[in-house]
Amino acid sequence: MLSLSKTTGYAIAAMSCLDGPDGRPVSVHDVAACTSISHSYLSKIIQTLANKNLVKTKRGYTGGLLLMHPPEEITLHEVVVAIEGDEWIGKCLLRLEGCNSACPTQAFWDEERSRIENELPRTCNNRRFAMKIKRRTFLKGSAGIAGGGALASLFSKGPRTLMAAAAEGGGSALKEEVVPTTCWIGKQDCGMLAKKINGRVVKFEGHPDNPKNRGKLCPKGQAQIMAVYDPNRVKTPLIRTNGKGIPGKWRQASWDEALGLVADKIKDVRKRDKRLLIWQKGRSKAKKFYDTAFVKASGATKLHHGAYCSDAGYRALEYTIGMHAVLHPDFRHCNYLLAWGWNTTGAGGNKTCWLTWPQQLVEAKERGLKMVSLDPRSRGTAHFADEWVPIRPGTDLAFALALSNQLIAKGFVDEGYLIKHTNSPYLVKEDGFFLKVDGKEAVWDTAQNKAVPFDAKDAKPALDWAFTADGKKVKTAFRKFKEHVASATPDWAAKICGVNADQIRKISNDLGENSKIGATKVVDGVELPYRPVGVMAYHMAQQEMGFQAIRAMVQVFMLLGAIEAVGGVRSDWKWKLHKGYKSLDKAKVKSPPYNVYLKNSKFFPINSNLSGMVAKAMLDPKKYGVDYVPEVMIIHMANPLGSFCSTPEFMASYKKFKFIAAIDPWISETNDMFADVILPAATIEKYEGPISASEPYNSADTLRIPPMKPLYDSRGDIQIYMDLCEKTGILFGKKGYLAQVNKALKLKGKYALPLDRKPTEREIFDRWAKAQGLKEGVKFYEMKGVRVKGPVKANKSYGFAAKPPFNGIKHRLYGESLLRIQKEMKAKGAEDIYYRDYTPLPTWRTRTLDKSPSKYDLYLMSYHLIEYKQARTSFVPLLAELAPEQWLDVNPKTAKAKGLKEGDMVWVESQNAITGETRKVKVKVAIKQGIRPDVVAMPHHFGGWTYQWQRDRGPNSNNLFFTGEGYVTNTADQSFQVKVRVFKA
Amino acid sequence: MARYGMVIELDKCTGCRACMVACKVENNTPEGVFWMNLVRYEEGTYPKTVNWFMPRPCNHCDNAPCMAVCPTKPKSRYRRANGLLATDADTCIGCRYCEKACPYGVNFFHPEDPKKNNYLDWGDKDLQKATNGASPPYKNPIFDTKVGKEQRKIAGSNHRPKVVDKCTFCVHRVEKSLQPACADTCPTSAITFGDLDELTSDINKIIQRKKAFRYLEKAGTKPKVYYVGGMRPGSESREIEKVQRKKT
Repeated sequence: MLSLSKTTGYAIAAMSCLDGPDGRPVSVHDVAACTSISHSYLSKIIQTLANKNLVKTKRGYTGGLLLMHPPEEITLHEVVVAIEGDEWIGKCLLRLEGCNSACPTQAFWDEERSRIENELPRTCNNRRFAMKIKRRTFLKGSAGIAGGGALASLFSKGPRTLMAAAAEGGGSALKEEVVPTTCWIGKQDCGMLAKKINGRVVKFEGHPDNPKNRGKLCPKGQAQIMAVYDPNRVKTPLIRTNGKGIPGKWRQASWDEALGLVADKIKDVRKRDKRLLIWQKGRSKAKKFYDTAFVKASGATKLHHGAYCSDAGYRALEYTIGMHAVLHPDFRHCNYLLAWGWNTTGAGGNKTCWLTWPQQLVEAKERGLKMVSLDPRSRGTAHFADEWVPIRPGTDLAFALALSNQLIAKGFVDEGYLIKHTNSPYLVKEDGFFLKVDGKEAVWDTAQNKAVPFDAKDAKPALDWAFTADGKKVKTAFRKFKEHVASATPDWAAKICGVNADQIRKISNDLGENSKIGATKVVDGVELPYRPVGVMAYHMAQQEMGFQAIRAMVQVFMLLGAIEAVGGVRSDWKWKLHKGYKSLDKAKVKSPPYNVYLKNSKFFPINSNLSGMVAKAMLDPKKYGVDYVPEVMIIHMANPLGSFCSTPEFMASYKKFKFIAAIDPWISETNDMFADVILPAATIEKYEGPISASEPYNSADTLRIPPMKPLYDSRGDIQIYMDLCEKTGILFGKKGYLAQVNKALKLKGKYALPLDRKPTEREIFDRWAKAQGLKEGVKFYEMKGVRVKGPVKANKSYGFAAKPPFNGIKHRLYGESLLRIQKEMKAKGAEDIYYRDYTPLPTWRTRTLDKSPSKYDLYLMSYHLIEYKQARTSFVPLLAELAPEQWLDVNPKTAKAKGLKEGDMVWVESQNAITGETRKVKVKVAIKQGIRPDVVAMPHHFGGWTYQWQRDRGPNSNNLFFTGEGYVTNTADQSFQVKVRVFKA
Repeated sequence: MARYGMVIELDKCTGCRACMVACKVENNTPEGVFWMNLVRYEEGTYPKTVNWFMPRPCNHCDNAPCMAVCPTKPKSRYRRANGLLATDADTCIGCRYCEKACPYGVNFFHPEDPKKNNYLDWGDKDLQKATNGASPPYKNPIFDTKVGKEQRKIAGSNHRPKVVDKCTFCVHRVEKSLQPACADTCPTSAITFGDLDELTSDINKIIQRKKAFRYLEKAGTKPKVYYVGGMRPGSESREIEKVQRKKT
C-alpha cells in the first residue's frame, strides 16, 4: 500500500528549492515562502533531512540551506525513506500482518510496489525537475504527492527521471527531454528551455533560473519556434544572378563557393586599403566573436546601430557621469518615477529590455511606486502611470530645464553632493572656461575667501558664488547653471512642450519632496545616500539635440543628489568608470580627411556612429572630407533598408558598394536589393555567447546551446566567421581570428585555442567555461543553462559605495570641453548647424522640424510594438498575425478637423525643413484618444516586401524620417520626429 | 475533487499577448484561431485617457450554456471531474450550437482541414526531413492520444475538419500538474491558475485581496475566470489593435 504523508511532499518541495553543495545557500524563510510551508513545520522537516544527511545548514550572514549532494545524485527513494522510514511501502491497507492472497488488491499492489521499488532509487531529484516543481506547477509539490495524484501516476510509468515523467503524457510512449538554451529572436537573450518530444522541439518556455526572465517569455520568445522551422529560411548559400538595386534572383551555391567568393573580395580590399571593408552589425549576439575578433582580425570598419538606438544617450552619460549606460531607475527602492518616453508595454531599456523592466515595475507598483508618464502617447505607459503628461515630441530638453528651474527656486538642491562630486563649484570665467589656479580647476574657498585648486586640502568650496577679479566676472558652474535655467520657467516650457505649466510645477515639487535630500539608507551593510526618485528614459536620445536632452535630464537628478543613490538614478548595474568620461572630454576635432562615419570630424566630433551619415558621406565624400568610398560590406543580422531611417539614402548609397555579403537566415529587403551573397546563418540552433543573464540586482551568465542541429544547410555564425577567415587566410597565426578570440574571451595558457587548428564552436565554449572555473566545461551550461552568481551587493553596484565614491571623478554639471570643441569646430570652418549644440549647458533652440512650412501641421513620431523587436521579428507569422497591419494614430479632434474616419486611407507627407524634400506613404487611420492632437504616430516593423507575411501590410515609417543636417545633430543624434501633413488618399 | 479556475490581475497585465502566442504554440491552434484572446482597450477622452488590457480565455463556466446545448450523446462538450469544460474532437459533429450559445465568443469552428491553414507551407521537403512530417512542425504528438481518466481526445487543436474547439485550460498540462501555457509564460505573472475550492490556494488569496469581478457575470453563466485590479469593459471601452482573427 502507498502511504506517503504530506510531510514527504513538503520535504521534496523544500529540497526542490535548494541548490547543490556548491551553490547559493537559501534561507529557511525563503524556502517557507517558496513552498508555502509554515516556518516552524519546515524547520522540523529540515532538521530531519539534515539528520539523514540530505541537507546541510550553513550558519552566518551568508548562511542558509544547501543540498548535501548534487541534486542529480539524490534519489527520491532516499527522501521518502528519510521521512517515512524503511517500512513505508509495506504497510497493509487493511492493517493486516503480512500479505494475504485473499486480498482483492494484492495482485495490483504487488505489481505497483515492485515497480515503485525499482524506479524510486533510480529517480533523482534532478535539477531540472527541481525548477519545474519550484515555479511551474500550480499544485504544491506536497499536494501532488500526498494526494496520491501526480507522483503516484508518475511512478507507474517507469520514467527515467521525474522530469521526463512530469512531461510525459498519460501512458504514451513519448520521449521528452529539455535542453536549456537562450532566446534568439529579441534583444535581451532570455533564458529558455527547449521542450523536445521524440527528438523534435515542440515549444520554448522560460528558464526559471535565469534572473532576466524568471521562467517567463514575451510573445516574440514564444513565437520564434515558427521562425526556426520556417521553410522560407535561406537554406543554402545564395549567389545573386541579376543586377543590384532591384529584387534579387539567386542561384544556390555550395558553402565552399560562396565563402570563396566573399573571401576573394575581402582579400582584394585588404590588400589595397583596409578602410574599404565595412562590417555592419544589427543585433550582435556574441560581440566577442563578431564585433571584436572578426573586426580586429579583418581590419574592417565597424558600423553599429548608433543613434538609431540610444547611443547619443550613452555618450551623454559617459561624458556627464562616467557611466556607459542610459537612465534607468533603482526599482527596488524608488518611490517616485518619471517614465520619460518609456514605452513600458512595448520596449525596454539598455542592458535589460522588455520583460525584465516591466516585471520590476509591476513589483515596484505593488510596493506603492508613484509613476508619471511623459509621453505624447498614453498607450505605452499610461496603464501603469498615476499621471499622464502628454508632452510634445522632442521637447524634453525644455521640460528638463524647467524642472531644474523649479528645483533650484524651491531649494531642492543637494549641496553636499554637488560640491563634493560634481564640477558645480568650479569657477567659470567670462569666456566660459574654468579659472585655473596652479594649473588646476579652481573653486572659491569660503574659509580663506580666495580661489584655490579644487583639490586643495580643507577647502570649503562655495556652490552658488560669483565675484569679480581684474574687472572680470567669475562664477561657479552652479551659478552659471542657475542663471542658465532662470529663464526656463514653467510657463516658458509649457508653451514649448504643449503642457500645462502647473503640471511642471507639480512634478518638480513631487520630485523635490520625494527625493528626501539628506537621507541615507543602509543596504547590504553600507550606508548610502537615499534619494528614491528616478527616471526611465532610455530612448529619449532619439531626437534632435538628443545628447543634450539626456544631459538636461541628468542635471535634474544631479540637483537632487540622486545619481547612483539608493532609489535614485541608476545607469548601470555595477559601478564602473567608463573610458568615455576621459576620452570624450579630450575629443579632438581633426582636419580632413575623415573616416567614413566622420569620427573626430568638424561635423560630428563626438560621434555616435550613424550609418545614415555614412550613407551621406558615401554619396558626397568631398563635402564631408572623406577620401575614399568603401567597396565591400558584410552585413551581419541586419536589415538597414527597413530598420534605419531615411530609406532613400540607403537605397542610393548601397549602390556604391561593389560587393555586399550578408549573414542572415532570411532574404531581407536589404539582401533582396543589394546582397551579392547570402550566407545562411542558423537561428537558435547554434552555440553562441557568452551572454549576460544578469539583471540589476542579480548576476548570472549563460550560453546559447543548440536544441537541434542547424536546419537546412545553415551554419552557426561563429562557424561562418571561422570558415570565412580560413578562406581569407586570417584564421590562424598570432594576428588571426583565433588569436583574437583568445584575447576577447581571455583564453590563456592551457585554455587558449591553438592557433593552427580550426576548433568546433563547442570546443571554444568548453575552453571558455573551464577558464571560468567550471570543471564540467560547456556541459555545465548544456545541463543547467545558466550560471547564477548571486545578488549584486551594494558596495559593487552603487557608484556612491566606491572608494572613493565614483572613483573620485567629478560629474560634469558644466561641460567645459563641449565649449572647447565648439571653438575648435568653428576654427576648422564648421558651419553653425554642426557646432551650435556643443554648449557647456544644454540649451534649447528652435528645432529644425519647426521650420517646415505651416501646412505641415502635425508631428510624426514612431514607436515600438511589443510584437516586434529587431528586423528578424518581421519574419514570424505568429507575430504578424497579432499586429497585422500598419496604422497611423490620429486624435479624434484632428481626425474631425481633417474629415477622417477610422480605417480611412491617407497620405502622410513629411517635409525636410533644410532641403525642402518631401516624401509620402499611404496608410490606414486608427483613431485614438490617447495621443496629442498635434501628433500622429506610426509603429515600426512594417513595410517589408520579401516575406509573404509582410507584403501589403502597410508602409515603413522610416521612409518618412530624414537623415543628414538638421535631423542629425550634435553627436550624430538621429531625430525620429518630423513635420508632416495628412490628407485623404 | 478540484474545481479549477483562473484569476487575472489586470493591474499587472501589460497587454503583451505572450499568453496568446504561448497558447497557440502549446495547443497547435491553426491560423486566426485564438483560444486565448487579449483585448486591448482605450477609454475616456484626451487627455483623460486610459489604456488597459483584458486576457480572455474560455471561462469554463459552472453553468455553461455551451454544454447545455451540445446535442451529441454522450455530450462532446462535457464537464470533467476537475471542473474544466472539454470538447471531444472524436465525437463533435460540428453543429456549432456551442458557438452560438456562448456569450464569450471563445469557440472556433474549423470548416476546412486545419492542417491546410497553418501559416506556412509545412509540406516543404527539406523541412519534412527534419521534422518527420509534423504539421505544424512544432506539433505536440500528445494531442493524438486520449487524455485523462475518461480517455477522450480533448487536448490540443488541429484534429480534423468540421469540429469546434476552444481553450482547454491546457488539459494535457493540468493532468501533469503543470499550469496552463498562458499562466506559465505571463511575463508579469498576472495570470494565476488553481483550485477554486481550495481556500488557501494562491488564486483564492488573490481574489480575497483585491476586488474581483467576472466577465458577463449577469448572463448567469457562473464563469470561473476572475479579474481583479481593474474594471469591466463598458460601453465606453473601445477595442484597439485587433489581431487577425479568422472569420468563420
